[in-house]
Amino acid sequence: MGRYTIRRLLQLIPVLLGTTFLINYMVWQLPGDPFAGRCGQRPCPDSYVSAMRAQFGLDQPILLQYWQFLKNMLSGNLGVDFNQVPVVTQLADAWPITIRLALLAVAIEAVIGISAGVLSGLKRGGFIDNVVTISTLFLLSLPVFVTGFLLQWLLGVQFQIITPTVSDEAPIMELIVPAFVLASLNMAFTARLTRTSIVENRRSDYVRTAIAKGLTNRRVVGVHLLRNSLIPVLTFLGTEVGSLMSGAIITEGIFNIHGIGGLLYRAITGQDYTIVVPIASLLVLVYLVSNLLVDLLYGVLDPRIRYE
Amino acid sequence: MVEVLSGPTGRGSYSGALLEVENLQVEFHTRQGVAKAVNGVTYSVNPGETLAVLGESGSGKSVTAQTIMGILDMPPGRVAGGAIRFRGVDILKLPEEQRRRIRGEGISMVFQDALSALNPVFPVGWQIAEMFRIHRGSSRSDAKKKAVELMDRVRIPGARDRVNDFPHQFSGGMRQRIMIAMAIALDPEILIADEPTTALDVTVQAQIMGLLADLQRDSNMGLILITHDLGVVADVADKIAVMYGGRIVETAPVHDLYRNPAHPYTKGLLESIPRVDLKGQELYAIKGMPPNLLEMPSGCAFHPRCPYRREDCATAVPPLYPISGTRGSACHYWREVVDGSR
Repeated sequence: MGRYTIRRLLQLIPVLLGTTFLINYMVWQLPGDPFAGRCGQRPCPDSYVSAMRAQFGLDQPILLQYWQFLKNMLSGNLGVDFNQVPVVTQLADAWPITIRLALLAVAIEAVIGISAGVLSGLKRGGFIDNVVTISTLFLLSLPVFVTGFLLQWLLGVQFQIITPTVSDEAPIMELIVPAFVLASLNMAFTARLTRTSIVENRRSDYVRTAIAKGLTNRRVVGVHLLRNSLIPVLTFLGTEVGSLMSGAIITEGIFNIHGIGGLLYRAITGQDYTIVVPIASLLVLVYLVSNLLVDLLYGVLDPRIRYE
Repeated sequence: MVEVLSGPTGRGSYSGALLEVENLQVEFHTRQGVAKAVNGVTYSVNPGETLAVLGESGSGKSVTAQTIMGILDMPPGRVAGGAIRFRGVDILKLPEEQRRRIRGEGISMVFQDALSALNPVFPVGWQIAEMFRIHRGSSRSDAKKKAVELMDRVRIPGARDRVNDFPHQFSGGMRQRIMIAMAIALDPEILIADEPTTALDVTVQAQIMGLLADLQRDSNMGLILITHDLGVVADVADKIAVMYGGRIVETAPVHDLYRNPAHPYTKGLLESIPRVDLKGQELYAIKGMPPNLLEMPSGCAFHPRCPYRREDCATAVPPLYPISGTRGSACHYWREVVDGSR
């Protein structure tokens, strides 16, 4: 397992280099001059544009720019954005909020999705199963922004149970509904995956053995059946952590959460690539690391998988 | 309410056989109709006795065993009638909690394919130790120590080092030994072995059968050996019940049955064993196909395939005619079968 982990970590390096280079390259290839529209109604004077270009190194060849970017990332010095505000402080303010939101969403996915899946899988065709099937279908067919605006309007405006938007510090209590919105699609999928897995494993031989051993029904289901059925579910939840973070853009937009989603959105519309590039690169890193963790977790959950 | 498991001291406080299955009827309700998988099966096992239940797939032998264990999938399965008396108490009428405590403690079962019957994600020692932890409330370390002892007892080499291994790390024969260790952990009075050697190669089959026989002799438990392999049962069984189409068609002490079968189906089975002295000749096979449980033939279920059939075989269901002692044959013309005239 140790050697496997090291090999996988080494594999991350070329992938990271490749993706970050593509991000850098493509972002600067986008049409439009980021400095042309920064002077109100009038076009910016050439002296301003060329000064900015020189400051951000845009007059240099792309490979040199990329080298500079790598040096900055590794030293943790990300410089300033086009408004001369340090990028690092903006990221440091935004990341914790998004991480909190994403973890909350994963928790909601896991708790609600798995419970609903187990309950419906155990009594296939029963009342709970029908409720779960219909409500997951409902969630799966609704885009996140519809669920988001709907809940915001219903709970925040009509019933006034929650504040419609999240305050700057983004406390956990205010993040519950946004996290639910962010989690909704994956939660529905988790419930269905769990249900299928439970139904499949329920008739398996080792469950029959567990019953024949004279174990209580609770132990048969809670230990023998669940432990096996959760293997695909936990790996799914793990791989989705990365997409959950990038998916937070829409949710953060709806509930006005000042996480990386909002930051990224504003940076893209303002063509401020000094922010877009580090965030996109960090999201890639989150993806890669969470995938690696899932692969390692898989070996722990299922002893039949062994890495040498 | 009679407490069936009143502890080791309570053993022997009943009259009659240790386990009696009486006129058991089990049905499966499917979309195509009702399949009578078990149709009036009666047999009994005493301490130290081995009953071999013989029959092809679909004959109802495994369903009977699953009903005894209480692990039949219900639905679609349903017990339509009859009784299963363990130490004199009809366990079919017991509440689920009491039946649960009989499983493992009183009656245990070994399954056919140990690879799928053992839980793939738990170490084998843990799975054996679970018996002590759940039924006896043993501590983890105590239960694990007993698990190692049991693995020694079923002759797994290096048991102490292998107690934390997972099922997939063992060979087929070793896995079946672990299944057996788990089944005998609590010293049950009845052990049901459902085709315990079918998934193994021949040399390992003999070892497992030998192990079962030794364990039975040591602990004096009753053994129900379910198989479709006539060769397996000859050495270990005391008596045989041959099943066909959900019924018992012949019961006999093992040597009587081999020497002189009293039912055309048994006779066909014995004749279809390959024999060295008949090398080169065509292998005998019973004509036709096993009956479809949804459309059982009228009268005797075997009559469409039977070389002895007469007209009334298609109309009258043969009862189990007593022949002598514990022998019985469900054939109207068993005398002709025994005499060997065809």
